[in-house]
Parts: sequence; C-alpha cells; structure tokens
Amino acid sequence: MALTETRPDTGHGDDTVVVDRPAPTQIERLVATGDHLSNGRLQIGFSLVFLAVSALGLGLAALDRVTDDGLLGGIAEPLWASSLVGLVLMGVVPLLLGLAIYVVPLQLGSPAIAFPRAASLSMWSWLVGAVLFVTSVVLDGGVGGSDDDGARIGNLSMGLMMVALSLGAVCVATTVMSHRPLGMKLARVPFFSWSMLVAAPIWILTFASAVAHIFVGQITQADAEALSANFDAGVSWMLRSPSIYMLAIPVLGIAADVVVHLTGRRLAAYGALQGAIAAFGVLSFGAWAQSSPAGQTIIWVVFAVAAGLPLLAMLGGLGDALRRGRVPAAAALGAAVLAHLLVLGAVLAAALQALDTAGSGDLFGLGTDALEAGLFMFVVSGAALGGIAGVLHWGERIFGAPAKEALSGVAGAALLLGGGLMATVLLVESIAQAARNGLVAGVLYGAVAVGAALFLVGVLGALVAVLGAARTSHEGSPAEGGDVIGSTLEWSGRGVALPGGPSTELAAVGSPYPLLDLRDGGVPDEETK
Amino acid sequence: MAETTAPAAAAPTAPVLPRRRELLFGTAFGTAGVVMALVTLVGTYIATRDAAGAAWLAENEIPLTQPNMQLVTLGMSAVTMQWAVWSIGRDDRYYTYLALGVTLLLGVAFVNQTTFLYDFAEVTIAQTEGPLFYAVTAGHLAMVVAGIVFIVLMAFRALGGQFSSRQPDGIAAAALFWYACIGLYALIWFAVYVQK
Repeated sequence: MALTETRPDTGHGDDTVVVDRPAPTQIERLVATGDHLSNGRLQIGFSLVFLAVSALGLGLAALDRVTDDGLLGGIAEPLWASSLVGLVLMGVVPLLLGLAIYVVPLQLGSPAIAFPRAASLSMWSWLVGAVLFVTSVVLDGGVGGSDDDGARIGNLSMGLMMVALSLGAVCVATTVMSHRPLGMKLARVPFFSWSMLVAAPIWILTFASAVAHIFVGQITQADAEALSANFDAGVSWMLRSPSIYMLAIPVLGIAADVVVHLTGRRLAAYGALQGAIAAFGVLSFGAWAQSSPAGQTIIWVVFAVAAGLPLLAMLGGLGDALRRGRVPAAAALGAAVLAHLLVLGAVLAAALQALDTAGSGDLFGLGTDALEAGLFMFVVSGAALGGIAGVLHWGERIFGAPAKEALSGVAGAALLLGGGLMATVLLVESIAQAARNGLVAGVLYGAVAVGAALFLVGVLGALVAVLGAARTSHEGSPAEGGDVIGSTLEWSGRGVALPGGPSTELAAVGSPYPLLDLRDGGVPDEETK
Repeated sequence: MAETTAPAAAAPTAPVLPRRRELLFGTAFGTAGVVMALVTLVGTYIATRDAAGAAWLAENEIPLTQPNMQLVTLGMSAVTMQWAVWSIGRDDRYYTYLALGVTLLLGVAFVNQTTFLYDFAEVTIAQTEGPLFYAVTAGHLAMVVAGIVFIVLMAFRALGGQFSSRQPDGIAAAALFWYACIGLYALIWFAVYVQK
C-alpha cells in the first residue's frame, strides 16, 4: 500500500485497544495550531507589546542624551540603536505580517493560509527571537553593546527574527498567488493582499541579504566590537533609504481598503493604484545600496525621489474617492491616510539628502546619511500608524467587536504626533548639526523623548482598544455600530446583511469588490474588462 | 417536518478552486531568499578578497580541475532534472523515477567532489580567508544537500502517486530549487575558483 493512501477502516472490535488520549489543554492547542486566525491575532498582540517596549527604549535613550549621559551611562547608545532595530523587527514588520496572516486568506475567501504549520513556526520563532533580542539588550549586547556574549545573542536573535519573518512572508505571498477563488485574477486582488504580494518578496530579499552578513558575523566568532562594526557595514543599510520604505508598502494597501470599505464606492483606476503600490515596492528595494558610496550615485537619487510619485498617486486616488460623497468619520481612516503623509515626509527628507549628496555633494554641508535618522523615523512612524489603522479597521473581524472609536482616535493621534515629532526633531537636529551645541542638542533630544512618550501612549492606547474589543466580544456585549457592510470577501462572515438572503453564493469573483457586486446585483461594465 | 432556521446573517462563500501551484510558488519565494543570501555572501567574499590583495589564499593550493568537474556534474544534473519534469508532464512514470535517480546520483557526486576539494585545499577556519571561504562554499553545499533531500521527498511522493501530468508541482518545485543550486554554483565557480 502506498503511504499516501487512506488507511482502511478496521473498526473497533473487542480486541482493539482504544487509547484514551487526554484532550489538549488550551495552551497546547494555542501553540500547536496552524489556524491563521489564531496565529495572526497572537502576532498582532505580541508585536504591539514589543513596539511599546522599543518606543520605551528609544525614549529612555533620548532622555539620557538630554542628561548628558547621566541617566544610563554607557548603555544609552546601544539602547538607542537596539530600539531602532526593535521598532522594525519586533514591532512594525511583525505587526503588518500578523495582520496579513489574519486578513489575507479571508480577503481571498480561502479557509486557510498556505503552509499553515510554516506560518505558525514563523510566529513562534519570531517571538523567541524577539525575547532573545530584549534579553541581549539587557545584557549590554543587542546592537553596539560591549558584552561579547550579549552581542552574539543579539546578532543571532536578529537573524532568527529575520528568517522567521521571511518565512511568514513566504506563506502570505504564496496564499495570494495560489489561494485565489474562481475569477479573482491578480488585477482583482484586494489592495491589502496585493500590497502584501508586493511587500513579501522585497522583505524576503532584503532580510536574506542582511541575514548573510549576520551569519558571517556569527561564524567568525567576532567580539562585541567586531559585531558592532559588522552591523554597521552589513545590516544598517536595511534601516536607511531606500530599503526602509519597504515597511510602508502594506500601508498603501491598508489605506485603500479602508477607503473602499468606508465609502462603499469603487475606486477609479484600480489597476493604476495597484501599479502605484508595485512601483513603490520596486523603489523600496535597497539591497543594492549597502555601501555608503551607493548613496552618492544617481541611481540612489532616482530611487529616493521617485518613491514620492507612487505615494502621491495613491493619495490622489484616495482623495478622489473621499471627495465624492459623505464619509463616516473613523479613526482607522484618519490614521491610514495620515500615515501616507508621514511616509511622504520621509521621501522629502530623502530628496533633500539626494540633492545634497548627488554628484559632488556639499550643497547644504551635510554628510552622507545625515538625514537618515529623521527619514527612518518618518517611515517607521507611518508604517506603525498604518498598521494600527489596519488593526482598528479589521478589529471587528480580528477581535470579535469593533474597538472604541474615541480610544482609537486618541491612540492614532498620539502615534501621529509622537512619530511626527520624533522624526521632525531628528531631521532638524541633523540639518542644524545641533550635536555641536550641547544645550540645543539637549532641548532637541528632550523633544525626541516627548515624541517617544507620545508614540508609546499611542501604541498602548491601540493595545487597550483591541483588548477592550476582545473583552466586549468575549462577554457577548452588543457590538458598536451595528451590521457591517463590506466590499471584499473578508467581510462575508458575521454581521453581513445581503439582499440575496442566507443562501447567497458567488458564482465567480467578477471584480475587486465581490460583496459590492452582490449588493449591486452584478458587476458594472467597466469592471468586466 | 423539521423546523429549519436560517442563519442570522448571510455568509456568501467564494467558489473554491483547487490549490494552484502552492508548493511551486512557496519554493520560488523561499529560493529567492536563499539565492539572495548566497549572492550577498559571494559579494562580501569578493570585496574582502579585493581588500586583502595578493595575500588571499596564497598559502593554499586550489586546483581548477576539481571545480570544473563539479560544474560539469551539476550541469549534467540540470538536463536530468528537466528530463524528470518533462517525463512527469507526460505521465511517463518510469522515466521520471529514472531521471530523478540520476539527478540524485549526480548531486551526491557533487557533494563527494566538494569534500575532496576541501581535503585537498586545506583551508582552515582559523586562517583569515577560512570563515568567508566556507560561508560561501559550504553554504552552497548545504543548499545542494537540501536540494537532494527535496528531490528524495518529491520522488517518494511521486512513487505514492501524488504527481502526474495534471499535478506536476512537486517535481517542478524541486527542479526550480535545483536549478537555483546550479546557477549559484556557476557564480561561485567563477567568483571563488576561477578568479581566486
């Protein structure tokens, strides 16, 4: 008998020994499940916690600079660098990936994610890596620390997180490619799923390249100082433009889906907006610009400046949809659209940097990479705000009840203000070269600490909002806002009221908005082309 | 008559298609990551070698004959792997197994040749060039071993009747990964062994 054949049913005669296995406990079920809903929800929750931890580290390091290294002493610089890495690898990327693991299969009408066990492995490996990374920072390792063992653990944990996140990205991208329902061509994939299809390969390639450098650092048995140099030479490029833009790719998709959902209208030029997301993705591929001289080439200038065009196209498309009628005020909408402005701030900073360093440079007297800290913060804040907008938008699907609007609004505003403040101040600090003036630098880093505190409040507010939604759902309290009418398939579950009645079925997906088609009684002519 | 109650809300279901090339797409995305990592290692190797100048691997003798034979071996396996894909596409199971078997044989031969080269070259991990030399070449060797395991698994699944002309994904996915191994070796052959 071939191994793949179904085992014949031998029945349970008197001589059959029936093993009475104990039922798995709640924790055993949680750890062993391949359910994308459970894994996505967990990843979102943990990433919000780690995002808050990273913001706290950033705030403490900034406070240390205000007190002239009087607060934390020698660990302030490693804490600053580690917090920046933490924002990306422990916060923003896993948040967006967790959201994708939950939402993307639903948007495609698929009952499961591709390779569910791999997706589960991805989540738990990332979690182990994140805990190890925090531990290494405590041991004066992390990034730039002076303890050899701590630095090695930090190096290893960064690699583990990147591999784990890449594995999750493989699962999400494969889901989009192979789990689409009948009629859903790539041109009809919902925006968030499309943006994840664009983001996943960029993340995989970028992380793979960084992991190679981490691997070299690990096998050379380098000490803390050498590992710090290895990070600067081989990994830090990932936190600079154009690579850092890769964090914002899914934000474009989230914003478009939020606008479609809230306006209940079809976006004009769907394909053009998909193209804009794809173009932004291509322009965020930065593994070619690993060395500092790459930032002084014309290709870098083109990448840095051109990334603004797809962003403006997206803003134009969304603005067009929003101006065509009344739109309900929602925290998710505001956060998703304003996240674009933060990312646009990064592109403007990059354009400034490009002007300065292109060719012979020295237009403003800035050094290479001088504006990178502000640019980084703009993108990371924008991506975090966009990710949280997504969590709030799909909150009812994820946590069973919508998050409180007022709390969501406060959280979003705090994130926007905090992220914007940190990024702007870091930009000003670089342009004014304030580090030369102790008093001015102290004031500016005080503002950064305030920004980090606001950012922290925003993340914690979002966490409280989603936990509150989960509690509301658990207690069975009535949901705020009544029935949900959606346009894409993730809304085809609870709370959707359709004119066709309970037996409503889709013959085939005929447009990017299958539920809207059902309500409208068909696909408009322009969508069938 | 039993009383039937309609659910409170409609849940329109999307028509489900059979999973289309899930393994192939997953392998493609994963392979892209592995290739990127190894290309980065090769780039780092070249940059470090250029910085070291003439002293790089001056104490070691690395003949070109052995790497050439390895390239030829993997080149031949590209033909046999494609033969397996072609055969399963025509439901020719006998030749599918034969082609996979020959590919595996060539893969194992490559592993054997690599270990022979390591013994011959005597590059130690303690010398300056050691870590990067082995990061590149042993990294690729690990990829080839992973490719062999992948092919073995897919061969067993083919034996179990899971693949046919209507569902050749597993064989095609293994072939994709194998071609990436071959392409990367061509890069390593030129960057590490020819240019030295």
